[in-house]
Amino acid sequence: MPGSIIAQMAVSGALMGLVYALIAYGFQLTYATSKSLNFGQGELVMVSAFFSLTLINLGLPYLLVIPGGLLFGALLGLAVERTGVRLALEQKSEGWILLTIIIGLFLFSFAENIWGRDDRPFPTPIPSTPVHVLGVDVTWLEISVLVGVLAVMGLIELFKRRTLLGKAVEAVAADRDAAELMGISATRTVVLSYALSGGVAALAGILVSPITTVGPTMAASFVLKAFSVAVVAGLESGFGVVLIGLFLGALESLASFYIGSGWREAPGLLLLILALAVRPTGVFGKAVIRKV
Amino acid sequence: MLKRLLLVRGSELAMFTLLAVLPLFVTSSYALGLLTLLAIYGILLIGLDVTVGYLGQVNLAQAAFLGLGGYAAGIGVIRLGLGVPMAIVLATLVCTVIGALLALPALRLEGPQFALATLSFTALTTMVLNEWEHLTLGAQGLPVPRPPLLGFALTSREFYWLCMLLLALVWMAMRNLLSSQWGRAFEALRDSPIATDAMGVGTYRHKVAGFALGSGLGGLAGALYAFNFQYLQPTVFVYELTVILLLGVVLGGRKSLWGAVVGAALVALLPNLLSNKFLFQAFSAAGLAVALFAGIRGMTSRRLRAFQAFSPIVATATLLGGSLLVKNTEDWRKAIFALMLFSVVVGLPEGLMGFATSFLARLFRVEPPPLPAPSSLDAVLPARPAGTGDALEIRDLKRWFGGVKAVDGLTIRVKAGSVHGLIGPNGSGKSTVVNVVSGLYTPTEGTMLLGGKALPVGSLFAAARAGVARTFQNLQLFSGMTALENVMVALRGVYRVPLPLVLLGFARREERRAQADALALLAFVGLGDQARKPAKDLTYGAQRFLEIARALARRPEVLILDEPAAGLAHPDVVKQVEIIRKIHQRGITIILIEHHMDVVTELCDVVTALDGGKLIAEGTPAEVKRHPKVVEAYLGSDAPGDPDTHPLAPEPAGG
Repeated sequence: MPGSIIAQMAVSGALMGLVYALIAYGFQLTYATSKSLNFGQGELVMVSAFFSLTLINLGLPYLLVIPGGLLFGALLGLAVERTGVRLALEQKSEGWILLTIIIGLFLFSFAENIWGRDDRPFPTPIPSTPVHVLGVDVTWLEISVLVGVLAVMGLIELFKRRTLLGKAVEAVAADRDAAELMGISATRTVVLSYALSGGVAALAGILVSPITTVGPTMAASFVLKAFSVAVVAGLESGFGVVLIGLFLGALESLASFYIGSGWREAPGLLLLILALAVRPTGVFGKAVIRKV
Repeated sequence: MLKRLLLVRGSELAMFTLLAVLPLFVTSSYALGLLTLLAIYGILLIGLDVTVGYLGQVNLAQAAFLGLGGYAAGIGVIRLGLGVPMAIVLATLVCTVIGALLALPALRLEGPQFALATLSFTALTTMVLNEWEHLTLGAQGLPVPRPPLLGFALTSREFYWLCMLLLALVWMAMRNLLSSQWGRAFEALRDSPIATDAMGVGTYRHKVAGFALGSGLGGLAGALYAFNFQYLQPTVFVYELTVILLLGVVLGGRKSLWGAVVGAALVALLPNLLSNKFLFQAFSAAGLAVALFAGIRGMTSRRLRAFQAFSPIVATATLLGGSLLVKNTEDWRKAIFALMLFSVVVGLPEGLMGFATSFLARLFRVEPPPLPAPSSLDAVLPARPAGTGDALEIRDLKRWFGGVKAVDGLTIRVKAGSVHGLIGPNGSGKSTVVNVVSGLYTPTEGTMLLGGKALPVGSLFAAARAGVARTFQNLQLFSGMTALENVMVALRGVYRVPLPLVLLGFARREERRAQADALALLAFVGLGDQARKPAKDLTYGAQRFLEIARALARRPEVLILDEPAAGLAHPDVVKQVEIIRKIHQRGITIILIEHHMDVVTELCDVVTALDGGKLIAEGTPAEVKRHPKVVEAYLGSDAPGDPDTHPLAPEPAGG
């Protein structure tokens, strides 16, 4: 029955790939408005997951933990924007790369000392029992990832298309100077995009923690693969990250099955370097016309 | 001259002498170990500074190259039975080659994507070192013997001298490299990659070479690291070390050899600093004092933004407060790095040595070495015999952007030695023609011949090498470099010394020649007395003249001037016309795009008028000015043929 095993591996890998896609989507949100992204995004995922775990341990019901965690993530996103990004953007430098790495390092050390270095289980009311769908077994937790990721991405895309504020974000993404001339504050949309991005990171943490457990290093490999997904898909297309995320997740699950679990990360990294060599703007990205 | 020699070279000599004799007095093996690490990290950080400082890219792969170099040397000794020198050479070569292979795809990108690619490379390297157990013994670590050197077993003191000797050699080689054309190219490509390509210097090749060089130095440091510790483990060469190395470069000061060594001292001392609580508290208190002083001074003199002044104070205060509260500082290691790095990046972006150099330079006022006498103009820009035939022929050129036909089937022949004007209303396709000819855009269709040979398409660099030089409508000077360096970097046919000899310091003679040639060109455009001024401090007019001098340094077959008089005040327009006329007299073919009709009339032999990407008229300036289609293109067709509203003829007086 190797066929069904392959299908099983591919499907559960692809569902994990959706988490990469969600984190990568967080990169896209801030990249659209500010051409910057948070290199410490993984630490946002991890710290938000720890925070949500604390809320659960305090006895809060799961349905309140989710908004609490998202809000916390959004606040962290705001903090990153204020301390790490704004100054560099004002100076039109790429200092934000280094500064967001630094903030991530700080958050990592913070989590390590406050919550400990060990991996801890993340209890949820969602059962981890499998359901049989089209010949493969899928757990309810994996289904919750699928639903959560698609729902939040759908909501944000709707927000960008249907609300005035969302259209302002789109306008800044399309042409920052023109948007400013029309009276839109680019700084505020950047702030908003960082808050959204932080919330998205927190959601990724809450969705994936019941599957992987919570620990300081939980997000390190996720974020690396989210980078690959974002670069391979291109930093513009939300649809692209979902496709590439699914693909990479499945590929990696199969690679660890066939080559060995130590090489699990290899496909993502190789895919990234290949994509850079062949199509630097990403599979779904547009080529930029240089002007002088 | 003597003062300069004494101060600059003297301080280098003093430092290396001190470092060389120090182990004669220091007997503690622990201190010797630290000094050895200083030398190794010094080499490593000089390598990292090439990308981070000179290329201006965040490089997160240097720790990986340290590891690769270490393993290459170790495996070379164990498997191939190499001695110390050959193992060092092997490690350097392996990392240079891998660096080049990584740079080829990764450096097509800028900024964040490049940082991501190097980050992924570090992760990939750790994984390979861990998993390729057959060669690396994986996670259990690889013991590396230190073979004898020329029959002598090296003591730790002798090994230190070996490391120090290599650091000194690397230092001198880098200094030679950075004061040559290579150093200028690095500066130039950070200021304007487009102009670097358009001047035939080559942005991409210099970036790849720079990255490969930095990686090679990482490999060299890695080999020394392996022989120093005689044990390698993959978990050492991870992301965290990369961040510490960046801390070293940034804190020491980017674009500075001194900065790299100061940063290396910091990186080597860091673990000690953290294990000794009192030392750490003293260090944090000193940091806070500096931050307070700099912050308050910056705020009162309004040099710093509130955030820049304030946040380092908060960060260092947190550091001090934390050091008093926390029991074990080792546990908070990463947070401490983060706070330190944050304060430096925000509050002291130039780093310690950047700050110290500007301070010392003000204190001692070191004069730059005197300039040679300018070369004769005939040697730099030989007058060409009166041309025959076509210098440039454009046949049926098309360039479409999606549905927009910016240039749509254009044929132009530019006679050798002529000044050929290109006019047309905004959006008529002039700039697109220039951008296609100079290689910025690939033509959709059509052929271009330069002196009868096919002109390379779609590459600024290749077109420049073939003999096209251009100026830019929106100035693209290398603004951080002096006027002289702007011209020197573009000179063609001067730099012939191959890279290994440049590293050994044999490029000085051609450097003098380049200075002399560049001075002649500066004098030609009337900037002979402003050679030492940074380009960004020149007046707007002077910047336009400088762009022309820089383009002339290419000794072009065809010189394209893209609106050279745009935005100039009247006296500067007169000067500019004079300069262009002088270039014309030397027999150089010129394509002139210009909106000032009087400039066009005065200078051009032939004028081509464009509209909607098509040729609408060609002839002498007088003919083209009267051509009805040109009149229509400029003013619309409401009053065709009405002589009273002729646009380009002088208005009748009165009314």
